Amino acid sequence: MNIIRRMFVEEYRLHAELFGSGRFLAFPLFTALLAAGGIWLLTLTGSSIGAVVAGIHALVFFFGLQVGTIGLIGRDAMRDVLGDVTLLVFSARTLPVSRRYLLGAFILKDIGYYAAFFLTPIIAGFLPVVAAGELTLGQFGLLWLSVIATFGLGAGSSLTLAGIGTRSKIALVAVVGAVVAAIVLAPETAVSLTPYAVYTEPAVESLLASAVLLAVVLVAGPLLFEPATNSRARRGDPDRYRQLKRLGDAFTARSLLEVARSSGSVWKVAFSLGVLFAVAALLLDRLADVTALDPSGGIAFGTLLGLGSFTTYNWLTQADKPREFLRYPKALTIVYRGKFRAFLLLSVPIGVGYLAIAALWYPPADLLVGLVVFPLVSVYVFGLTAYLTGLSPNELLFDTPLFALYGAGLAMLAVPLLVASLAHGTAPQQSTGFAVGLSVLAAGVGWLLLGRTGDRWHNRLRE
Amino acid sequence: MPAVETTGLRKRYGELIALDELDLTVDRGELYGLLGPNGSGKTTTIEILTGQRTPTAGQARVLGADPVADPIEVRKSIGILPEREDPPSFLTPREYLEFVGEVRELEGIDDRIDRWARKLGFRGVLDTLSADLSEGQRQRVMLAQVFIHEPELAFIDEPLVNLDPLMQAELKEQLKAYCEAGNTLFLSTHFVEVAEQLCTEVGIIADGSLVAERDPQSLADGLLATFETEVAAASEQKQTGETTSRQPQEGKQ
Repeated sequence: MNIIRRMFVEEYRLHAELFGSGRFLAFPLFTALLAAGGIWLLTLTGSSIGAVVAGIHALVFFFGLQVGTIGLIGRDAMRDVLGDVTLLVFSARTLPVSRRYLLGAFILKDIGYYAAFFLTPIIAGFLPVVAAGELTLGQFGLLWLSVIATFGLGAGSSLTLAGIGTRSKIALVAVVGAVVAAIVLAPETAVSLTPYAVYTEPAVESLLASAVLLAVVLVAGPLLFEPATNSRARRGDPDRYRQLKRLGDAFTARSLLEVARSSGSVWKVAFSLGVLFAVAALLLDRLADVTALDPSGGIAFGTLLGLGSFTTYNWLTQADKPREFLRYPKALTIVYRGKFRAFLLLSVPIGVGYLAIAALWYPPADLLVGLVVFPLVSVYVFGLTAYLTGLSPNELLFDTPLFALYGAGLAMLAVPLLVASLAHGTAPQQSTGFAVGLSVLAAGVGWLLLGRTGDRWHNRLRE
Repeated sequence: MPAVETTGLRKRYGELIALDELDLTVDRGELYGLLGPNGSGKTTTIEILTGQRTPTAGQARVLGADPVADPIEVRKSIGILPEREDPPSFLTPREYLEFVGEVRELEGIDDRIDRWARKLGFRGVLDTLSADLSEGQRQRVMLAQVFIHEPELAFIDEPLVNLDPLMQAELKEQLKAYCEAGNTLFLSTHFVEVAEQLCTEVGIIADGSLVAERDPQSLADGLLATFETEVAAASEQKQTGETTSRQPQEGKQ
């Protein structure tokens, strides 16, 4: 318990020191306001509170999966993400504490930390709904409990899958296959075992079932996980860098190599976009079920995948030490252009691949607009992210005012595009034209921002 | 024209004064050592001179160019070894040096890589990922990127860190030979013996100010004794100065 407490304090200090206590403490407040606004907007579009609650559970589950994938991406990335100061990576070497215990403590700490600073504020966004009498206080309490447990289920599940994967790839495929089969063949039974059922059907049975499932994944993950150890020095193909340089310049080739050779390789880019794609597919499906709307899959997927390409930017800058680029006789503008080419080379084929998968259940003609919207939104996202956060998107997005600005920048584009998607059923030509026009405009803005990013960060880094 | 010249260089980070009216001149062909305790302003000085930081006040010239107004031009003709930085983890030394060669637009990069890998003793690991190299091997790769374009001036921050004794001795000879060929080295260190053995001129920096400049070979008591005396005197002087300047304010209260 002492270790969990210390990890919690350590994480808080890390964020508080990076951004100042006041700015970091404003983050939950901002999240609560954002959640309340989002819930209000969704109810305006005709979504029921039940559908919003289901959507929140789905989002939180996938968010938990993402957080738990820290185990999937291996020890070198763990060090990159967490730094040398973390108890998790280094205590097992120097203190008489087992790695499994530390990993278990780390996951529990993460659940507690995210519950306090992120999940509780999201649930607080439902308080206006409680005040309006559409949700009882008892339901609100159950919602809080089930959302936190759902996040824990997501984090524990991905760590458990990673743990199985470290022992046997075949076993991993078998377990994933079995879970997918259970969800497809008996979706209601599968859902009844999850914490979501504690909210929808509060009973001792649902509470017990979800508690057991949660306990299993939280215990199995740390027990099964065996981090990769580099027993021998890894060698690089001497021709690879030169091959990649043909796709752009030195900065493009280096960025692509860094993504490909870090743990998880280019698959982590596909995974991050895939999680978003799955959430988008689920929400679109629910939306069509609970409202009379007939959203455009092309506009919606194009928009959401484009927004999700933020994660690609994240992977591309993960190994960067921004000050290094100040030592070379090249303007930072050239560095960012190289990154931009690498970004397009990674995210566009993967995003187009997901649009092709969507064609399995959406009319292909409807998805064509997605092929236009997705890359254009990606250009905007790259420009905005690079301009606001430089080469350190992860750290700076915990800075509340900057996060608010970034969120507003994304919302300015995403909201009208998603409204256009929803309006597609009633005005297909107008909504498609609007979406394409707005995306072109956004890409232009992104391109302008990209052009100014180098000078902005050159001046900032030299302060 | 001197290789490096600063006048009244000043740098503030919020409340902290990192450099305080720093005046120094380094002639061409010199192996100049900037010696100072931790936090005395050595790294900030190098960062300003190499165009990585803008000073709060003062002027700097490096090989006749202004590193504040024209950092790219300055970086073209200098090499930089930062303190405690490794080559990119997921690139091999060969790839990293090719990358540097491309960025610096160098001809004949293969020959250059081969020559420097041989000189600094890392040919055997040219195709191993940098993440899997030892600390000493990584430092050798970082040294290679400083000299691969044969700059006429190099700024090196603690160059001997992590190197084994044999490599340290060899590198010292190489650095001396580099200056004897007419090039200039600006070395920052907090190891007195490194400055004593290598440098033709040593500047002692304390609390952001240059407090003394000496030829280490000419000191009868040795550099360490001089260093201790000068740093202690500077610290005492600063405290006295601060007390004096604070007195009127205290009087008001």
